[in-house]
Amino acid sequence: MDEIYLTVIFVFVLFLLLGTGVWVALALLGVAVVGMEMFTSRPAGDAMITTIWGASSSWTLTALPLFIWMGEILFRTRLSQDMFRGLAPWMARTPGGLLHTNIVGCTIFAAVSGSSAATLLTVGKMSLPELRKRNYPEFMSVGTLAGAATLGLMIPPSIMLIVYGVAVNESISKLFMAGVLPGLTLAAMFMGYAIAWHYLFPSQRPDKEPPISFAEKLWSSRFLIPVIALITLVIGSMYLGYATATEAAAFGVLGSLVLAAAQGSLSPSTFGASLMGAVRTSAMVAFILMGAAFLALAMGFTGLPRALAEFISEQNYSPIALIFALTLFYIVIGCFLDGISTVVLTMAVVEPMVNIPAFREMGFDMIWFGIFVVVVVEMAQITPPIGFNLFVMQGLTKHEMGYIAKTAFPMFMIMVLMVVVLVIFPEIATWLPETMRRSAG
Amino acid sequence: MDGLLTGFLDFMQVFGDNLDAFSKWLSDTIEDTGKAVYDEKFRSGWKATRAFVIIVPTVVLTLFLSWLGTRKRWPRKLLDGIYFASGLIAAVAMVTMLGVIFMQMYSRWTGQTFPGATQYAGYLMAGASFFGLAYALNAGSHIRVNLMLTALGRFRKWGELWCFAIAAVLATYFARYAVKFNFQSVKLNEISQGLDKTEMWIPQLAMSIGTVILAIALWDNLMRMIIEGRSNFKEEGLRDDGLEDLETPAGAATSLDGGR
Repeated sequence: MDEIYLTVIFVFVLFLLLGTGVWVALALLGVAVVGMEMFTSRPAGDAMITTIWGASSSWTLTALPLFIWMGEILFRTRLSQDMFRGLAPWMARTPGGLLHTNIVGCTIFAAVSGSSAATLLTVGKMSLPELRKRNYPEFMSVGTLAGAATLGLMIPPSIMLIVYGVAVNESISKLFMAGVLPGLTLAAMFMGYAIAWHYLFPSQRPDKEPPISFAEKLWSSRFLIPVIALITLVIGSMYLGYATATEAAAFGVLGSLVLAAAQGSLSPSTFGASLMGAVRTSAMVAFILMGAAFLALAMGFTGLPRALAEFISEQNYSPIALIFALTLFYIVIGCFLDGISTVVLTMAVVEPMVNIPAFREMGFDMIWFGIFVVVVVEMAQITPPIGFNLFVMQGLTKHEMGYIAKTAFPMFMIMVLMVVVLVIFPEIATWLPETMRRSAG
Repeated sequence: MDGLLTGFLDFMQVFGDNLDAFSKWLSDTIEDTGKAVYDEKFRSGWKATRAFVIIVPTVVLTLFLSWLGTRKRWPRKLLDGIYFASGLIAAVAMVTMLGVIFMQMYSRWTGQTFPGATQYAGYLMAGASFFGLAYALNAGSHIRVNLMLTALGRFRKWGELWCFAIAAVLATYFARYAVKFNFQSVKLNEISQGLDKTEMWIPQLAMSIGTVILAIALWDNLMRMIIEGRSNFKEEGLRDDGLEDLETPAGAATSLDGGR
C-alpha cells in the first residue's frame, strides 16, 4: 500500500513540475531526486552525479552536436533556392505538380539535417512563395509542407533517433539505417496524397506549366549535385562501415562547410552563428539526456516499469493490440510534450514492456520500435495544441494554428497508415540495418 | 590405468568447480570490500561542507550582483559576460572535439594509434554540454511546457517566479554535488579507466563550473524577475524556441531547436 502512495506522489510531482513549465531537463532531475529519496536509501545526490557524468561524457553522444552543427551550417546556405531550382523542372508537369517539390525537398533536406523545424523553414521559405505565385491552393501547399517536414525526424541523420539510441542503448548507425526506407515510404505516401488531390479536385489545379526539354531538366539538376554528394558521403560511409555515426557526422560538418564556402555563403558571421546555434541546441538536448539518465535510474528503484511490464505480460495482450494502445498513448502524450521529452520520459517505462520475445518473434525488435516511436512523434509535431511544426508554420505563413492543423490532418492520417504498414511489414525498418557492413570503429 | 585417469579427471573436475566457486567468492568479497571502502570514503571523506564553501557564497554573491545590476550597469555586464564566455568555451570544446575525431580517423588510416581518442572526445562533449547550459538558458533554448504559463495571461509573472525558484534550487543541488564529486576525484586521485589515463578531476571541472554557472544564471533570472518583472531572456522570457527568427526566415541569426 505504501508503495502505491509513493508511486502516486512520484507521478504527481512529475506532472506538477512538467505541467507548471519548469524546464523539462530540470523537472526530470527534480522528480528523480524525489524518487530516489522516497524509494531507496542510496544517497541521491551522489548517485545523480555519477550517472550524469557517465551519461554526458560518452563517445556515443559525440555524434549529436556534430549532426546538429551540420544542419545549422546548411540552414544558412542558399540550399533552399538550389533545391527548388533543381527539383521544380522535374515536378512541374507531374500530377500534383510543384507540391512535390515540398515533399521531395523535405526528404532531401531531412537527409542532411536532423530537425523538422529546420527542414520546414529551409524548404518552405522558397517553395511557399513560388506555389502561391502559381495559384496552388494554400490548403495543399501548407499541409504537404507541414507533414513532409516531419521527415526530418525520421530520415538520417536524426536527432530523435540519436536520443532514442542513447536512451535504450542501441547502435546509432543501425537506427539511422532503419530510418531510411520508412522515411522514403512515408515520402512516397505523401506524394500519393498530392497525386490523389490532382485527380480528385481537377478544378483546383493550377495552370499548366510550359513544357521543358529533357536536356534542360538534366542541366537544372546540377544544382542538386552538392547536396546529393553530401548525403551520399554521410549515409554511404555509415552504411558501408567506413565510419561510425560520429565519424560520419564529422565528415558531414566538413562537407557542409565546403558546400557553404563553394556557394559563397560562408562568412565568419554565419560560421559563428551556426556554431553558437549548435552549442545551444546540443546543450539543450544533452541537458534533457542528463535528466533522463538520472530519472531512468530512479525509475528502476520505484519498480514502476517492472510492475507495469509484468502487468501487461500477464494480460496476454497480443503485440498488435499493445502497439495499437501505445500508438494512442503516444498521440495523446504528443499533444502536450515535445518529441525529445516524450522519448526520454517514456522509454524507461515502455522498454521493459516491448523488449520481450513475443515482440521480437514478430520482427518488432528495439530498432523497429525506434522507428515506430519516431513515426508517432512525427504525428505529435502536427497535432495541436503544441505541435512544434504548427508553431514554425505559423511563424512562416501567419496562418492560424487551427487552420494549419486542419491542413495537416490528412498528413496525420497518412502517418497513422504508416504505423499500420510498419506493423504489417516490419522488414521495412529492420532489413537495411541487417545488411549494413559492420562499422570499422 | 583407466581408473586412475578417470579418478584424476574427476578430481580435477571437482577441484575446477570449487576453484571457480572460490575465485567467484574471492572476487565478490574483494568487490564488496572495495565498495564498502569506496562508500566510506564517499560519505566521510569529503563532507558536503567543502562544496558548500563554494556554492553558498556564489549564490549570495550572485543575488547581490543581480540586485546591483538593476541599478548599475557593470554587474549586469559582468553576469552577461560570464554567460557568454561560458558559451564561447562550449563552442571551443565543440570545435576541438571535431578536431579530435578527425585526428583519430587520420591515425586509424595511417596505421597509427591515438590512445584514448574516444575518451577525449567524450570529455569535450561533456565540456560543450555543461558550458553551454547557462548560455542556452538565456537564449531560451531549453525546452519547457508552456501551456500553463500561457494560460496564466497577466499572472504569468507568478508562474515564471515559481519556475525560476524551483529551477534555481534544483540547479544549485546539481552544482553542489558536481563540485563535491570533483573534489572527491581529486582526493581519491581517480584516473580514467581508458587508455587516456586522464586524471578525472580535470574533465570534471567542466561539469562543476558549467553547473555552477547554470545555477548563477537561474538565481540571477529569479532576482531580476522579482525586482524588474522580467528575466534575461529575449522578449521578456516569453520566448520558447528559436521562433523569433521566423519573422525573417532568410536571415536566421539564431538556432532552431535541432530535435524538433
